[in-house]
Amino acid sequence: MTQIYPIGGGKGGVGKSFITASLGALLAKSGKKVLLIDLDLGGSNLHTLLGVNDQQGGINRFLDKTVKNLENTAVSTAIQNLFFISSSLCSMEIANLLHAHKLKIITAIQKLSFDYILLDLGTGTNFNTLDFFLTSNQGIFICTPEPTAIENSFRFIKAVYLRKLKHIVKRHSFNSAVKEAIIRPNHEAITSPDIIETVLKHDPDRENFLRSSLSEFKFKFILNQFRKNLDATIGDKIEDLCNRHFYSNFQFLGTVGYDVRIHDSVLSKKVFIHKYPYAPPAIDIKKITEKIINSRPSIPVTGKIS
Amino acid sequence: MKNIEELNYYEILKIPANSSSFEIKRAYQDALSIYNQDSLVTYSLFSNEERDNILKTVKEAYSTLIDINKKAAYDTILLDSGQIEVSMTSIQNQRKPPHAHTCNMTDSDNFDERARKKSRKKKIETLSNQVLSKDLISGDDLKKMRKAAGIELSEINALTKISASVLRSMEENRIESLPPNLYLKNFLRHYAKMLQIDPQKVIDGYLKNISLAQKK
Repeated sequence: MTQIYPIGGGKGGVGKSFITASLGALLAKSGKKVLLIDLDLGGSNLHTLLGVNDQQGGINRFLDKTVKNLENTAVSTAIQNLFFISSSLCSMEIANLLHAHKLKIITAIQKLSFDYILLDLGTGTNFNTLDFFLTSNQGIFICTPEPTAIENSFRFIKAVYLRKLKHIVKRHSFNSAVKEAIIRPNHEAITSPDIIETVLKHDPDRENFLRSSLSEFKFKFILNQFRKNLDATIGDKIEDLCNRHFYSNFQFLGTVGYDVRIHDSVLSKKVFIHKYPYAPPAIDIKKITEKIINSRPSIPVTGKIS
Repeated sequence: MKNIEELNYYEILKIPANSSSFEIKRAYQDALSIYNQDSLVTYSLFSNEERDNILKTVKEAYSTLIDINKKAAYDTILLDSGQIEVSMTSIQNQRKPPHAHTCNMTDSDNFDERARKKSRKKKIETLSNQVLSKDLISGDDLKKMRKAAGIELSEINALTKISASVLRSMEENRIESLPPNLYLKNFLRHYAKMLQIDPQKVIDGYLKNISLAQKK
């Protein structure tokens, strides 16, 4: 069964593409068939980190219908079993993806057959990013141990959460008062607690359903650029805290140490773990890869986003 | 987001009901380090109002549990409402803080685990009844019960501070390397408590067994 892991996290520069490339490479090295898709539309970088010279395009050919099957836009990389779909040749306006195109991409991804598919997402919390993150019932968010990154991560989680809640309410039969309140809220800043409260008020029987649907979603997270002088328990604390305050499941996958050589590998456009397989960050990512391989597969998302 | 007010004080501080005052203090400090205004872990997660409410609850939890009289009164309320049981004092629970209300969640992982735990409990019970009914208890009996309970030697070592080599000598009946009886009794008591079996019976049976072996 294909395991899809969208890789997100609100802030830029925390290492989403770096982690995607490294995880992908290590999963492929352990014998899995892996596909990386650059879904940072309008900010594509993954091809550079992988050292792929993107000449033929990827997602753009799927969207303009020159290629019918998304799978055929995948190219092989320097690493065996590791495949890649680029978005670097997409139009300069691709960041404002049409809704229909977004659905087309998501549906196509859900049909692909690989052992692992990692989606490298962009920064921020726009609907494209959130919906790509919800392609699967699990996702990884990358954070660094800094207030700015933590702030954006919590915002990202809450945004994913709200989007998920709205999807659940829209897709399943809820009392019309609930649907009305969510589709046309009285005020702009509707929050997840508001929705849950509305459900409690108008459709109390569905509360448990809502909670269990939310608890199906599994967030995993990685703390990147971790320096030695920091409190080592911070990841576990965040895991614990999130499990306590959100209804979804949170798993801390581990820290990845800060290393100046990562910068070198980016400069030389080589996959870091290939160039420095025994550097501390490479070993950290290896441990994380093992955790991912050993974790229970989650049930794929069924039903389309409307 | 879940409402922290639904949790009881033990769940708020993530400690079992039989925690010592030292553990309560440490848990309180941990909670403060997470929920304090300048904590990195919760930076921007809560509004000021939410944070104030949480901190207020954490402080209430601490001031209640640290006061022996208040704690006793609070425990009675929890016992009556069935939120804690006498068995909450068990070691298994001590190793893992009570999970913040998962009862409504249909998480299959938890379900499996619960089911497994239940069946394991049954097995331990029959085995320990069998062993405790005997007059003599050997190190092998101890080991069998420990294995059935799924407890590692290292775990006993971590919680009781009895060295692993002594524990091994106890399980392997190596009389020559056992500590003097005064200490041995105490070690056996801790060991039995970890397995939640009657310490006195274990001590009596075990000492009888080694004194017999010595005579031979």
